[in-house]
Amino acid sequence: MAKPIIVSFGGVQSNFDHEKLDRAKLYGRRQRQVLDPDGHRCEKAELTRDGTLLVRSGMTAQGYFDDSGAWVPNNRLVGLDAAGNPVPLQPSTLGEPQTLQGPVAPTELLDLAVRSVYVLSPEGLDPKLEAELKAGKIYKFTFNYRADYKPELAFLVGNASGYFALVGEPSESDWLELQTVVAEAADEADDDEELDFEMF
Amino acid sequence: MRKINLMNEASRNAEVVIESVRKPPGITTGLPGGKKVAFKRYVAATEGGLHAKLVALHGDGLAKALIAGDPEIDRELVGREVGETQTVFLSGEGEVLHASPSLVEVIFGTDGKERERKPAESVPANTNEESPVRFTKLRLKRAELVTKFAVVRTIQIKHTSGLSYDFLYAMAKELADKDEVARLGAGPKGRDPLIFQENGARYQAFLEGRVDGPRYKLLLHLSNLELRTLAAAAS
Repeated sequence: MAKPIIVSFGGVQSNFDHEKLDRAKLYGRRQRQVLDPDGHRCEKAELTRDGTLLVRSGMTAQGYFDDSGAWVPNNRLVGLDAAGNPVPLQPSTLGEPQTLQGPVAPTELLDLAVRSVYVLSPEGLDPKLEAELKAGKIYKFTFNYRADYKPELAFLVGNASGYFALVGEPSESDWLELQTVVAEAADEADDDEELDFEMF
Repeated sequence: MRKINLMNEASRNAEVVIESVRKPPGITTGLPGGKKVAFKRYVAATEGGLHAKLVALHGDGLAKALIAGDPEIDRELVGREVGETQTVFLSGEGEVLHASPSLVEVIFGTDGKERERKPAESVPANTNEESPVRFTKLRLKRAELVTKFAVVRTIQIKHTSGLSYDFLYAMAKELADKDEVARLGAGPKGRDPLIFQENGARYQAFLEGRVDGPRYKLLLHLSNLELRTLAAAAS
């Protein structure tokens, strides 16, 4: 079992067990399956552009390669900032107290590009923090599920159903004025997404 | 540049541009000296080198065969970079399908078990330039939105002319002044979730406005996930 999320509010720690919030477990899911003329389920495969190789599941691997085309083992890799300077590896924040910042404005959370949502089960919740979350206050803290070069940001929220952590990184949008008119650009395709149950 | 047709509460509509918000440049992966590396996908085994084929060919002698002759490695192909590919479907017999396949939609319950199976129907996008996306009567405070729903994607709405600037600025200001988001709906009655591509995910959409003097932001927050525990969902 993963270590708990520990947050510190006014010097008092609260612990939460955590589990990813999964759409399929909340709503079920729909899946479109492809059948051959005999009604058997088809296997999805890929054909290389030159048509010489049929790539089936299990036939590929992926990795990092240097300029000379040599494979680079993962333990030699480091994180680099925008200037190309190595950045230190940040340890996992699980099991380590993280200071809560806030309360923050809802717009800060609305600017988060959410990557994961966790349902939190309190295992020793500071009553003051509980009262804040029940009042709809939002707090943020640093989150790193596992050691990584760029810790993410987590927002702690609560509602009548329970407590949740929304994890991701801040996104950027533009302030627009009268003189700002969007220039024509090429169409951008949307990501492929599976058809799922409606929420309501 | 993608456009949508946006209709306000007074049933006035305009074609406006939508763009995804940006993620800031992140940390890249490289070597300690600052050299960058390329992430590539490569051939690790050919079809004849997959475990099932090797077992069928060598049976109980597979382990010895692997040690003796490396039959799992095709030296001509293994290591070759896999670039762009086209999706193909293989029949139940493993042959490339040359006839049109049929599609079924399978519905799984929350327990992961299959509940229903029916011919798949194509669900068109409903956020095109012709049919308007419009305000519904539902309004939420911003704080309520973020504690009830996980926003999984945000799209910024932008003007294309002076007229559409006035249209969007007024919308943003009214929402910002009230600290509210408005739920938008699509479809003939303007109540359906938004679908941005054929057979794509359905999103509940909430429009948020921010203003700073003459500047504005109009952000369409999309959610397909409520902040709800499994116990609450079950009850």
